[in-house]
Formats: sequence, C-alpha cells, structure tokens
Amino acid sequence: MKTTIQEQDNNIVAFLEGSLDTAAAAETEKTMSPLNDVADKDIIIDCTALEYISSAGLRIFLGILQNAQEKGRHVYIRGINDKVRAIFTITGFSNIFEFM
Amino acid sequence: MNRIIAYIRRKLSVRVSLWVVFFAAIIFNVALGFLFYQAREAVRQEAINRATQILDKTSLRAGSILNRVEVASRMTKWLVERHIEMADSMFVYSRGMLQNNPDFYNCSIAFEPYYFKNKGRYFSAYTKHTGDSIRTIQGGNDYYQYFYSDWYLMPQLLNKPCWTEPYVDYDVPTNTSEMVTSYCQTLNDKQGQMIGVINTSLSITWLSQTILSVKPYPNSYSIMIGRGGTYFVHPDTAKITRQTIFTQALESLQVGDNTPAVQADTALTALGYAMTHGEEGVRQMELNGEECLVFYKPLGQTGCSMAIVCPESDIFAGFDRLSHTIMTIVTVGLLLMLYFFIRIITRELKPLRRLAKEAETIASGQFNTTLPDFQRIDEIGQLSQSFGYMQQSLVKYIDELKNTTAQKASIERDLQVASSIQMGMLPEKFPTRKDRDDVQLYAALTPAKAVGGDLFDFYFRDEKLFFCIGDVSGKGVPASLFMAVTRSTFRTVSTHESMPDRIVTIMNKTIADMNKNHMFVTLFVGVLDLPTGRLRYCNAGHDAPLLVGAGIGELSCDANIPVGFMPKWKYSLQEAQIFTGTTIFLFTDGLTEAMNANKAQFQMDRVRDIAFQSLTEQQQDPRLLIGRMTEAVHQFVGDAEQSDDLTMMAIQYIKQKSDLKMRKSIVLPSNLKEVPRLNAFVEEVCASVEFDEETTAQIKVAVEEAVVNVIKYAYTPGQHDQSVTIEAASNTLRLKFTIIDSGKPFDPTVYSVADTTLSAKERRIGGLGIHLMRQNMDSINYERIDQLNVLTLRKKFHRITPNNEITSSRNNRQTENSIKKRQ
Repeated sequence: MKTTIQEQDNNIVAFLEGSLDTAAAAETEKTMSPLNDVADKDIIIDCTALEYISSAGLRIFLGILQNAQEKGRHVYIRGINDKVRAIFTITGFSNIFEFM
Repeated sequence: MNRIIAYIRRKLSVRVSLWVVFFAAIIFNVALGFLFYQAREAVRQEAINRATQILDKTSLRAGSILNRVEVASRMTKWLVERHIEMADSMFVYSRGMLQNNPDFYNCSIAFEPYYFKNKGRYFSAYTKHTGDSIRTIQGGNDYYQYFYSDWYLMPQLLNKPCWTEPYVDYDVPTNTSEMVTSYCQTLNDKQGQMIGVINTSLSITWLSQTILSVKPYPNSYSIMIGRGGTYFVHPDTAKITRQTIFTQALESLQVGDNTPAVQADTALTALGYAMTHGEEGVRQMELNGEECLVFYKPLGQTGCSMAIVCPESDIFAGFDRLSHTIMTIVTVGLLLMLYFFIRIITRELKPLRRLAKEAETIASGQFNTTLPDFQRIDEIGQLSQSFGYMQQSLVKYIDELKNTTAQKASIERDLQVASSIQMGMLPEKFPTRKDRDDVQLYAALTPAKAVGGDLFDFYFRDEKLFFCIGDVSGKGVPASLFMAVTRSTFRTVSTHESMPDRIVTIMNKTIADMNKNHMFVTLFVGVLDLPTGRLRYCNAGHDAPLLVGAGIGELSCDANIPVGFMPKWKYSLQEAQIFTGTTIFLFTDGLTEAMNANKAQFQMDRVRDIAFQSLTEQQQDPRLLIGRMTEAVHQFVGDAEQSDDLTMMAIQYIKQKSDLKMRKSIVLPSNLKEVPRLNAFVEEVCASVEFDEETTAQIKVAVEEAVVNVIKYAYTPGQHDQSVTIEAASNTLRLKFTIIDSGKPFDPTVYSVADTTLSAKERRIGGLGIHLMRQNMDSINYERIDQLNVLTLRKKFHRITPNNEITSSRNNRQTENSIKKRQ
C-alpha cells in the first residue's frame, strides 16, 4: 500500500495505490492525517490505483470527509474502479462522497 | 256458544257480574225453596183442617137429613100400627109425611096382598110431590106388584129398618123417573106379624145437590157411596148407581193397563175399602191424572160414606200464584242486578281499558305518550301511578340501553379491528419448498373469542430460524394485549440475541417490569440452526413439543417458570439435534384441552395418535400434520363452543447434505497484519471455484471483516498468540467459509447494522463490517459450539435454475428482506 499527497490545481490530492485492507489501514491513516489540517482547499482522493478497500479503509475516508465538511470544504473521489465502487455503493458511501 | 264463552272470557265485568248473580241466585233459591216448602206444608195443613171441617159439617147435614127420614118413618110406623084397621087413613099418613117434610121425595105405606079384604090384592098409600102440589094415590096394581120390590123385601130379610141401594123410581102418571134411595121398615100387627112396609124416599139428585153444594175449592167435588161402594153422589151423573168405586180398578185390570193407572186405581180401591168399612180420614192420591187430597167419612148409620176430593192444584192455587210472582220478581231482580253490575263494573274498569291502550302505544315504541290522570286513590289509581313510573323508568332504561348498545357496537367494531390487527401481527406467509430447501413450516391460530392470548412467531435471521409459541393466561382483550407485548418483545430481543435462554430471560425481565396485573405467558422459544439442524431452545412453562421423526417423542424440557412474574429468573438453555425429515410439533393447551359437549378433553394421547398416524403415512409435512390435527380436533369437539385459543406450529427440517467438492483451510495468528495472507487465501479459493473478479472482491471484503472482528473483539487486542482457523468448502450450490476461534463468545450477527442512508456527519465509524458481510454474502451464521465461536459465510454460485431464471445472490437477499418485512 502506497500513499502520496500532492497539491494540484489549488487542491490537495491524495493518490492511493494497492490494497487498503485492515492491515494497511493504520499506516495509511497516519500518512493521510495531514489532510485533516487542510482548511482552505478541497481534497481529492485519487483511487485510480486502489485495488481493494475494506471497512477499515472506509473509516479513514469517512474521517477525512467529516473533518473537511466541518471546515466547509469538499472531498472528491477520482478514478475509482468498479470493485471499489461496489463497496462504496453497498455501504452507502456513494451517497455522501462526490465523485469526479 | 263458543262465541259467547269467548266474549265472557274477554269481559271481566261480565264474568264478575255473572259470578255475583250466580251466587245470589243460589242463595235466593235455597232461602225461597225453604220458605216455599214450609209455606206449602202450612197451606196443606190449612187445607186439611178446612176440608175436614167442611166434611164434618156436610156429613152432619147429610146425616141429619137421613136422620129426619128415619125419625119421620118411625113416627108414621107407630101411627100406622096404632090405627091399622082404618085402611083409608093410610093415605092421610102418607100425605102427612110429605106435607111435614117437603124435602122428601115420596112415601108409600104398602101392605101385604089382601091384608085389607075390601081393598083387594094391592094396597099401597103412595104420596109424591108433583110440581108444587102433593098427589096421593094407591100405588099397587098388576103392573107394579110392589111386594117384589127391593125396598119391600129388604127390611123383611134383614129384619130391621134399612136404606136401600139407589134405584130408579118410575112415576107412571107423570111418566117421570127419578133416582132415589129409600128408608124402609116393616109394619107389624099386635102379634108381631109383618103386615107391610113403610118406605120413605129421598131424591138422590136432591141429596147430591145438597152434598155437592159443599165446595171448599172451586174445582173440588164430593162423592157419596153406598154400602157396596156404589156411587150415590158423583159429579159424573152417569156413574151414579151404575158404577161402584171399584169399577175403574177392575176395568183397568181387565184391560191390563200400564202401571201408573193400576197404581192409581189401587189407591182408589184402597179408598173404596176404607170408605165401605166406615173409616174416616184423609188420603193423598192421583185421580184422573191429578194429584188430589181426598177427605172421607161415613154418613151416620146409613152405611154410606162421603168424600170430598180436592185437587192440589186448587189447594195450592193461591200459593202457586204467590210463588210464581215471587220467582218472577226474583228472576227479574237478578237480571236487573246482572245488568247494573255489568254497567257499574264496566264503568269502574274503564280506566283500565284506557291504560291497556296506552300500554300498547308505549309498547309500540312511543314512550312519550301522556298518561291520563284518573284522580282516583283506589287500586286503579295506584295502578295508573305505577304505570306512570314504569313509563318513566322505561324511557330511562331504553335510553341507557341505546347508549349501551351503541357502546357495545363500537366495542365490537374495535374488537374486529383489534382482531385483524392481532392476526396481522402473526406471520401469514410460510416458506414453500421453492423458497427454502432446508426447512418447512406451518402454523395455525384459532382464537376462542374475537381476540386471543395465543401467539406464535417465526422469522429467519441469517441461517437461523427463530420461532416461538406462547399462551397468555386468560382470554379476550387483556390476553391479546399481553400477547401483542410478548410478540413484539420477542422480535425486539431476538434481533440482538441468538440464544433462546437469553432471549427468554430478557423478555421475562422486560415483561415482568411492566406487568402490574400479574398476567403471565407460557413460552417456548427455539432457534434452529439451519445448516446443522442444531436446535437451541428454552421452554418457559409451555407444553413440551412433540418430535415426529424416527418415532414420536417429546422434546425434553427443563422446568422453567412462565414468563412475566419473576423478573430475576434465569432461564436454562437446552439443545437438541434435529435430523433431516423430523418435524417439531408445537401447540398450546387449547389443543390438548379442547373440550367436546360432554366436557371431555382431547388429551395428549390423541395428539400422539394423530402424529403417529401422520408418521406412518409419511405425512409429517407441517401443512398436512396441522391439517390432520385440526380435522381431528374439529371432529372431537363437534358443535361445542371452542373453549380456549388453539394454536399449532409445525417445523420440519428437510436439509439435504450436498456432496463436498472442495475443502481448503488456513490457520492464521490473531494479528491484523495477517490480513493480506487471508486475502490471498480467499482469492485462491474463489479462483478455484471460478468466481468472477467482482464476486471475489465482495467475498474478500466479507471474510476480511469477519476475521478482523474476531481478532479485534473475540481476542484481547494486542495479544497475537491466538489463532483463527478459516475453512473454505464448496458443494454444487455454494461456497462456504467457516471462521473458527477460541476467543470469548462473540456473535457479530446481533450487532446493529450501519444505517447507509445517513449523511456523512451523522454516520458513526463502525457497524460497517457486519454490514459488508451481510451485503456481500448470501448468508452469515454464528454458532457457539464447544467453547468455539463458529461463524459461517455462504455465497451461492450463479447457476441456471430449472425455471431458466438466473438466481443471483442479490435476488435471494431481496426475498429474505421481504420476508423480514412481512414479519
């Protein structure tokens, strides 16, 4: 599991790569924690290379979203594949996230 | 006649009047009868006295006449015997006799033939009245040889003076004849030689008139008979001298007349004997068909007897007139009395008729009719008043009744609604063989009243069948409310608890805390694990269910108390293995205690018999079994009213084991870091059963969530020396993952699922794992077996069904969901 955070077009973009399973969740959460400090920019999570996600990964997503919404910012999800989208759909996350 | 009786029955006034008049008539009759009898006796006595007096007088008079004849005759005899030698002086004597006694008929002084030599053979100085003059002639001649006459011979034969029987005296000069009787006595010379006879006659007609003139009553008459009973005097002149008093009797005997006549004549004959014997007295007898009193008495020395016949009709004529008048007065009086009584009573009862009419009006529903005020204080007035009160009360009661009826109707409507709500609470749809290949189930509930206290429920959660059957104490609305509470408590509690003992314990506490009326419910709660056929159950005072399988047996049950009154009771858990084909038959006591008209109960033995029959005929399918049982109960109960709520539920376990195709397993330490290894294992398994990539991803998430749950919650976090076993197995239908750990009991299936419809802000972190498990798999199932947590996840293969429909996992889930919703 590899996580990269970049600033792109005045947005913060997080690139996720690999399987975000329970084992990888703790580290990924830590890596992505700077996103919680962003107050003046929207966040884009790029899932183009995300192969798998379990509930532990979803919790990280929810945490980022709740934090951003408190600050009035948006969280966009980009490049999500069908398998991961299916998980989003089943869990109702597709209703609360905005997709690009 | 019938109409008259009907009229009398209808009219009280007529009836009462008739009774009064009837009794008055009886009293009058008795009093008057007595009076009449006494008066009649008095009149009779009076008549006897009077007639006797008259008879005495008449007899005296007749006697005196006869006596005068005798005296005059004796005087003349003396004179004649004194001057016997002077033949012509006989004419003087004879004439003198009639001159001195003008009421004598004639007198002859007759002598023996040739007594006076110069007078020839015949000499009789005969004197007789001819009109107003007296004619004296010599009476004897060749044509009238007097010395052969009765009157001349009788005194000689008798040797004493005597009266002759009446005879006809024919007077040649005037050519007249007269019925006479004569007093004759012989004339003797000085030597005592009989020389002639002196004969003095009386006219019978004259004598009759003298005697017959005696008439004490207008229609009475007198008779006189001679020595032999010959009539001398009789109103029927034809009888005089020609008949005797005995003639009539003899005639009737000869004719052989009928008995009354003979009797009458016997009486007459007896009278005749009495009279001819010179007796005196009174007799009551029937003469010529008339009741008469006959007074009789002899007439001096003549040997004659006279009688006065007085018809009773005459004697009692006055009395009868009087009594008729009185009777008429009484009758008319009674009729008048009847008439006035009827009038008076009718008038008095008029208010009653009026009341009757008012009562009819009231009865027809017009309760506000004003009742007339009769201004009376008697019984009718009281009745009228009572009637008034009754009317008021009626109006009041009818109003109350209307209200009550309306309330009742509304309650009944409510009850109907309640009944349909209650029935709606019960599961209506039972799984068919098409729906489920592991269990078949059917239940029937028949309440004794509109709503009942019996309950049953079942639903599927994961791979488990949750079911219960219960019977609330009592019947009707209270029981039904309690039933509703019990049923919803069961649903609520069993959502989070999978162990029947826990479910019942919690239910008991919940219900006991709010049970102020000390009601209770006997309850059997079971959880059938469908993949394994393992039954966990808890029986709270309910009838033990029957197991119909290899034989008939009762499921052994611990003695737990019913639910609802001891909040702290700890209910025990029991377990049993149900084999494929076995039917669990549950029922309430409404079955065993179903009563027929003779108050006999259906009994457990019959239940067993029916179950055994079903078993022998291989008909232990839930519907068939319950159908048979219902039919048997109906047949037993017959027309008797259902005494208690009746509920039956049958659950048949029909799972067939499929052949195992593949089996793989992996044992991982309880460390989250092992998740990639787990995922690799799952991928490998999915690949071996040729699941597509999407399905594989779904399964991977589900299994990961399950294992992570175990590591996080069943084991103490941070301890990595425990292990988790993941077994994968497949048959023709599905792929199964079994996750086994030895941690503390942890059932993830009872945790509430995350609400996926909430907004980001409202969503909690957590609950997603179980949600993902449920959503991604076809079924998940938790079992605690031998100190191990056993969680099973199943995923069906996409396959072509016999109906050529593709049964996807999603479709199945929807069916499951819809069943839940119905429940």
